[in-house]
Amino acid sequence: MLSTNDSSKNSLNNSLNNSSSDRSKPATNKNSVRAQHRNSNQPQTVWQIDLQHTLGQGETQFNVDIQFKSTAQRIVLLGPSGAGKSQTLMMLAGLVEPKQGLIRFKERVLLDTSKKICLTPQQRRVSYMFQDYALFEHLTVAQNIGFALSKGLFNPSSKRIDDKVNVWLDRLGMADAALKYPHQLSGGQKQRVALARSLVHQPDALLLDEPFAALDRDIRGELRSLLIDVQSELNLPMILITHDAEDAQAFAQDTILINAGKIVGE
Amino acid sequence: MSSFEFDSALIALGLTLKISLWATAINLILAVGLAYYFATRRFALRNTLDAILTLPMVLPPTVLGYYLLVLLGRQGPIGEFLEHYFNIRLIFTWQGAVIAAAITSFPLVFKSARAAFESVNPQFRQAASSLSIHHFFIFFRVTLPLAWRGIMAGTLLGFARSMGEFGATLMVAGSIPGQTQTLSITVYEAVQAGQDQLANFLVMLISIVGFLILITSNYLTPRGMRNTHA
Amino acid sequence: MKRFFVLIVLTISMLGAQAQTLVVSAAASLTNAFTDIGSVFETENPGMTIRFNFAASSTLVQQINQGAPADVLATADTYSMNRAQKAKLIKTATRINFVENQLVLITPTDSKLNLTTLTDLNNAYVTRIAIGNPNSVPAGLYAKNTLESAQLWQYLAPKLIMAQNVRQATLYVSQNEVDAGFVFLTDANTAGKAVKVAFVVNTPNTIVYPAAVVTGTTQPDIAQKFIHFLKSDAAQNIFTRYGFKSVTQ
Repeated sequence: MLSTNDSSKNSLNNSLNNSSSDRSKPATNKNSVRAQHRNSNQPQTVWQIDLQHTLGQGETQFNVDIQFKSTAQRIVLLGPSGAGKSQTLMMLAGLVEPKQGLIRFKERVLLDTSKKICLTPQQRRVSYMFQDYALFEHLTVAQNIGFALSKGLFNPSSKRIDDKVNVWLDRLGMADAALKYPHQLSGGQKQRVALARSLVHQPDALLLDEPFAALDRDIRGELRSLLIDVQSELNLPMILITHDAEDAQAFAQDTILINAGKIVGE
Repeated sequence: MSSFEFDSALIALGLTLKISLWATAINLILAVGLAYYFATRRFALRNTLDAILTLPMVLPPTVLGYYLLVLLGRQGPIGEFLEHYFNIRLIFTWQGAVIAAAITSFPLVFKSARAAFESVNPQFRQAASSLSIHHFFIFFRVTLPLAWRGIMAGTLLGFARSMGEFGATLMVAGSIPGQTQTLSITVYEAVQAGQDQLANFLVMLISIVGFLILITSNYLTPRGMRNTHA
Repeated sequence: MKRFFVLIVLTISMLGAQAQTLVVSAAASLTNAFTDIGSVFETENPGMTIRFNFAASSTLVQQINQGAPADVLATADTYSMNRAQKAKLIKTATRINFVENQLVLITPTDSKLNLTTLTDLNNAYVTRIAIGNPNSVPAGLYAKNTLESAQLWQYLAPKLIMAQNVRQATLYVSQNEVDAGFVFLTDANTAGKAVKVAFVVNTPNTIVYPAAVVTGTTQPDIAQKFIHFLKSDAAQNIFTRYGFKSVTQ
């Protein structure tokens, strides 16, 4: 059961911050930054991107040349398959290092090749959701969701479930499936688990690679709404890539068209 | 077969197990570590180095043994260093036998582990790193659990190979009863000396142990479904 | 028609000539000498090729026993040949002793030890002695017999490192992994400067090398011819060059 109650817009955020097993984090600072952002008159630049990269060799060489600046919280990179969207997203996450580029997220510099700055994925605090979800097959749903909460050598316990994980399980209506393994889940369930996993540790942004592509039409609408709700509740900047114009229409505050590695429209 | 022969057979079995376990433990760390590096990083000469590391599998064991003797002996670069600074001598010791066994079984563990690591979808690692988990922990929490079946199968193969190791061990460790005379060497000498009863008993012993190891290894070898990415 | 006939005969005789291969199974210590002797034999008998099979004497007997094809057997000790004879693997009438060898004690080239007799081996500075496994290596067996008759075997046994063949024993000495080793004089000569001969060991039994025609040979005449050749001056000169001795009995 998905709750879309407007009055509890900030309930998720509050539950997460008030949970008893709160690992030390400057959560309050972030809240106030977000509050400031909402109340300020001038929209702050969220993303400033300038990337050049070459993939492959010879005949199959593919050049990516992307620049954009956006103040939007919800951005969609729209384009056909093979347009270079995934590559762009991976560069934003730090999973691929471009030949040349600059990535600014709010006031942080994630990448600046001219100054030889390149934060590792771990340092960027930008979560990445894969098209195939990449759920850890050997861990339960609860362990998957709570994965980022365990910082050390061991995975979260399979028996004792962290409060923060429980909050997400309830929010997504997955409490019954907590001890199931990924291969026992449906596509829609996997997507929800992947979403929770990428958000439980309160990252600064979320990148989604074709999140709805593997799902049936009827579920797609449901999950799009869920994503929008979560995004506004957490006030979390998201970039979503897709080839489906419907996704862009439903989700985007800012749509960027990409084809053959270049921006062809906004 | 006399009771003395029976006792020496059991001593040889115990010695062989000790040497093989140590050799396998070394390879578990060394071969698996290197396999992970080779599976996940691209670097110049990667294929060339892989082929060099697999070489012990191709070389005749006595040839390998000869080169080990030259390297690890007191006149060799490594042996001289060890003797001079640590007063360690490897030739004619069970430790030397461990090295010979480890080197000859290294390719088996290395290749299996590399294949196992390569079969793990890199997206798992990438997802974990975007969740701010350190590389070192990702290896133990994600990659290793997903690859462990293939690694185990390879390790067991390596263990079986160590048990059967003969040519190189003979050169490096000699054939000293109770210290370096492993099962395979004992069989060989029994055959050479015409001690058929003892030889037959030893062959049966080795076969049973080897059979058990190999059956376990087959059981652990990944079956298609489990290791495909989500 | 006549030309056709000549062609056939020529072809057959050429085939016949190429079919004359002799397989000689010989002890490893005979490798160098036999290879040279084989070349001379082939030169003096054009159309004949010799294929050598060098291995430990006990291995050779095992091979023939299991049906391996060989025409001539030459071992480094009488015990192996006796076993072959007992198992009727050789034609007893063709058995001869063709050469002798001597057992020596060798040490690493730069060894500081001054060893002149067998009892010197009891010295505490002698920690390891290489010896071929007496169960399968002739040189090792001769050494063991010598030590036993000198009442030294039980004292020296803990120091002994068993090698699978004399080459390995020599290798251990040249690599300075052992303090001394028992090998044949011919092996010491082959090793050259890598080892030093300390002294010649007086063995209770003379070290004779027997040769015989194998029972299952397909070339009995050539096999016999080869064995005779071993006693010829040409062959004996080659043997002496490598450190062997002519048969004294």
